[in-house]
Amino acid sequence: MNPMEQFEIHPIVPLHIGGYDVSFTNQSLLMCIVVAAASLFLTLSVSKNRLVPSRAQSMAEMSYEFVANMIQSAAGHDGLKFFPFVFTLFIFVLFSNFLGLIPGSFTVTSQIAVTFSLAAVVILTVLIVGFARHGLGFLKLFVPKAPILLLLLLVPIEIISFLTRPISLSVRLFANMLAGHTMLQVFAGFVILLGGAGGVLSVLSIAPMFLIVAIMLLELLVAFLQAYVFAILTCIYLNEALHLHDHH
Amino acid sequence: MQQPAHTTATTHAPHKGAGFPPFKTETFPGQIFWLAITFVFLFVVLWRVAGPRIGGAIAMRKDKIASDLGAAEAHRKEADAASAAYDTALAAARARSRAMDDENRKRINDEIERAKAKAEAEAHDAMAKADAGIAASRSEAKGHVLQAAQDAAAQIVARLTGDKVSPEEAAAAVRAVAGS
Repeated sequence: MNPMEQFEIHPIVPLHIGGYDVSFTNQSLLMCIVVAAASLFLTLSVSKNRLVPSRAQSMAEMSYEFVANMIQSAAGHDGLKFFPFVFTLFIFVLFSNFLGLIPGSFTVTSQIAVTFSLAAVVILTVLIVGFARHGLGFLKLFVPKAPILLLLLLVPIEIISFLTRPISLSVRLFANMLAGHTMLQVFAGFVILLGGAGGVLSVLSIAPMFLIVAIMLLELLVAFLQAYVFAILTCIYLNEALHLHDHH
Repeated sequence: MQQPAHTTATTHAPHKGAGFPPFKTETFPGQIFWLAITFVFLFVVLWRVAGPRIGGAIAMRKDKIASDLGAAEAHRKEADAASAAYDTALAAARARSRAMDDENRKRINDEIERAKAKAEAEAHDAMAKADAGIAASRSEAKGHVLQAAQDAAAQIVARLTGDKVSPEEAAAAVRAVAGS
């Protein structure tokens, strides 16, 4: 009952391309399921001819408007150009988090390689948009309005804080998922240990069981919250690339 | 000698449960490869299919609601106009009926006045005629009374004195008494 075992990646269909091991793994399978579930849900649930939406369509529309409003409030109206990108990030992380909570499945976002890749895509987008829009003026992002002497101190801080963004963005999601799932596994282990101990201890195994239920509810919240945080931070970074520091 | 051998065994032949799974760098290329494929697929689906579909459904509903509200507003205006037209028609009809009422009343009053005046004039004429008759009768009666008094006076004088009194004298005497 190693609580880390659930994060193991094992190949299902071995595959090697150019000396790299790109086997189809349990994680690849989950990513495919995530993408298929999200695509089917957001496509099939929506009908244009339905004036009063079904429950599924309501949820799809809600997620759409949620992300659209998020972008508009964080990055302004011209941030809506990036709607497909932010929407995809949000939906991908959200579905990965939720589907990962199903017992026996795999949490795609509990892998630092995945979260860091997503964060890197975000930061690359920010850099490309920033330099394309402001040219070298984008570097003003690192120069806050302050006396020259203070700038000697502030500019390195700004640069470091910018460089740590992909790390904080990816580690936040990764660590949240990892910790939650580890905790669930540890308490599940307690249930089995106590249950197998016999006597009074077997009866006591009900206590960690209730804890698992409570943590599960918390994890449902965390699953949504982390997807939201990832998306809103993306919007905030995009806003800086679009408008530098000054305004919306 | 056994200890280092064991270490090399775990590092060179990784087996299940050894090490922290998310930090196993040998899985990174595969993870990134499949992430790229699935993420790009989802991006294209959401960008080209799902996004426009959901956005279209939302926009269509908004349009429908807006147009329905517009139609409702137009109907309300129509109803208001109809109600105003009804009010003016009602007021006009009321005014016309009042005018007709007044006219009728006036005509009837005039007729009554005319009839009354005619009746009064007739009554007046009859009264005047009656007055004249009465006056004639009275003067006639007066004449008779004078004649009787004249005769009576003549006879009384004849009885008392035996003198014959001429009718002229008797009449003068009566006139003297009655005229005083």
